[in-house]
Amino acid sequence: MKVDGLSKSFRLYHERNQSLKSTIMRGRRSVHEDFWALKDISFEVPTGSTFGLIGSNGSGKSTLLKCLAKIYYPEKGTITSRGRLAALLEVGSGFHPELSGRDNVFLNGSILGMSKKEITRKFDEIVDFSGVEQFIDQPVKNYSSGMYVRLGFAIAINVDPDVLVVDEVLAVGDAEFQEKCRLKFVDFKEAGKTVILVSHSMSTVQDMCDHAAWLNHGELVTAGEATPTISAYLDSLSFGGNL
Amino acid sequence: MRYLKEVLASRELLANLTLREIRGQYKRTVFGQLWSLVNPLATMLVYTIVFAFILRVTPPPGDPSGLNIFPVWLLCGLLPFTFFSASVQTGMGSILANAGLVQKVHFSRIVLPLSTVGSIGFNWLFEMGVLVAVLLICGAWVLPWLPFVLLMMVILAVFAAGLVLVLVIANVYFRDTQYFVGILMQIWIYMTPIIYPISLVEAQSARIGPLMGTNVTVLDIYRLNPMERFVAVFRNLLYDNRWPEVNDVLFCAVSAVAALAVGLWVFRRNEKGLAEAL
Ligand SMILES: Nc1ncnc2c1ncn2[C@@H]1O[C@H](COP(=O)(O)OP(=O)(O)O)[C@@H](O)[C@H]1O
Ligand SMILES: [Mg+2]
Repeated sequence: MKVDGLSKSFRLYHERNQSLKSTIMRGRRSVHEDFWALKDISFEVPTGSTFGLIGSNGSGKSTLLKCLAKIYYPEKGTITSRGRLAALLEVGSGFHPELSGRDNVFLNGSILGMSKKEITRKFDEIVDFSGVEQFIDQPVKNYSSGMYVRLGFAIAINVDPDVLVVDEVLAVGDAEFQEKCRLKFVDFKEAGKTVILVSHSMSTVQDMCDHAAWLNHGELVTAGEATPTISAYLDSLSFGGNL
Repeated sequence: MRYLKEVLASRELLANLTLREIRGQYKRTVFGQLWSLVNPLATMLVYTIVFAFILRVTPPPGDPSGLNIFPVWLLCGLLPFTFFSASVQTGMGSILANAGLVQKVHFSRIVLPLSTVGSIGFNWLFEMGVLVAVLLICGAWVLPWLPFVLLMMVILAVFAAGLVLVLVIANVYFRDTQYFVGILMQIWIYMTPIIYPISLVEAQSARIGPLMGTNVTVLDIYRLNPMERFVAVFRNLLYDNRWPEVNDVLFCAVSAVAALAVGLWVFRRNEKGLAEAL
């Protein structure tokens, strides 16, 4: 996957008031500023690598992932990627609280582009990986956030993507689940698939990723091998050094 | 054309979302799907008392069916209109209602408004089934007309979907749209011959005569409303049991295709910005 000269801006409204009256009152001029959340980002994610994105809050990591996942469309630059992409951007995204875990697996699977046959075939595997068998017929509104993530992650990896994009969500899972994910990422790597993940835990990134990119205020600081990137990031922090 | 292909590729998701809405709708209610009948029945009761009993509106009897029952005559026009108005009003909120999904998952966004129209269409199908049973009991031989009724239902659904696609986008940018449309629908039902026969409008129009030296009459303007044609066609088929006017059917079909074309165009131009605008 290759990202080339990517820039993304948001409109910041001084008084966001989505009503007809305010638009008419304002006249043709709308009072907004362009805020560039990503500025001219270019890097390459080697196929088959596990790629970590690091940076402080608000540095644009989630925005970048959303551009990769085609939720936002960048103003400038291009993203070239090969194969199917699955994204897990937030805990329980795409779940319907009133429906059971089972119904949600089918619904979420089909939102992510799986056919019903495919989901039926993989259903046991999904439930098995998520470890929520006991509660699969309960409405998901009764799930804990850890269970949400487990089920969501289990579905996303079973989409059988060539590129898997994961935001900070894994931190919600317990140690056992994190270990499961780590093993899964190793499997992915062996199968020649790419994983792109965001984490604030440098030990996780160190453990799981072979490549990394560091974003700061929407700009790319460095990208490359994981270890030097992480140490450069840590050095830049005033309390740098302790993991 | 490529866009249509993309939409077609999401048809399984569309079916699943529609089923989700249908299943989720009356979950944890005792009467379930029967609730879908309560609204039209309550409206029918009120309108029948006010307009047939107090104001003494008398629609012409069904020709050739010979039916002369106000509530049944009313329902033949009311059910299509309530489908239309409910699907426009619910459908236009569908992107806002699923904001979480739109902001976090990539999929063909058009399935959201379309599945709403689909699920309300399912309720309508159920209501029309009950209406057909009532018509048969009242002695209208409606069975041979059913395939054509179904076709007209599809055309009306296309018309509604076209409007929904425009309004759902407008509603994301200007949240006033839904209140505005709410009022518009209240006016629209009275601008359509649903609770009164069109003959009353014809009589007034003839009395006033051509407008301002042109040969346009009040009736001509009144009949620009596509819902007037839809209601006329549904009544011809269900209540009168005869072929509708070719002109009316054409007017319906052309409005539906035009609405859908505009809807697809507007939706397609704006769908990429939806995740940020929410
Ligand atoms: N939809 C949006 N509208 C306006 N600003 C946004 C939007 N999404 C993100 N931003 C801004 O973009 C910047 C980067 O945010 P984000 O990508 O979420 O950071 P993080 O690296 O913590 O994930 C922040 O300053 C945030 O306020
Ligand atoms: Mg973030």
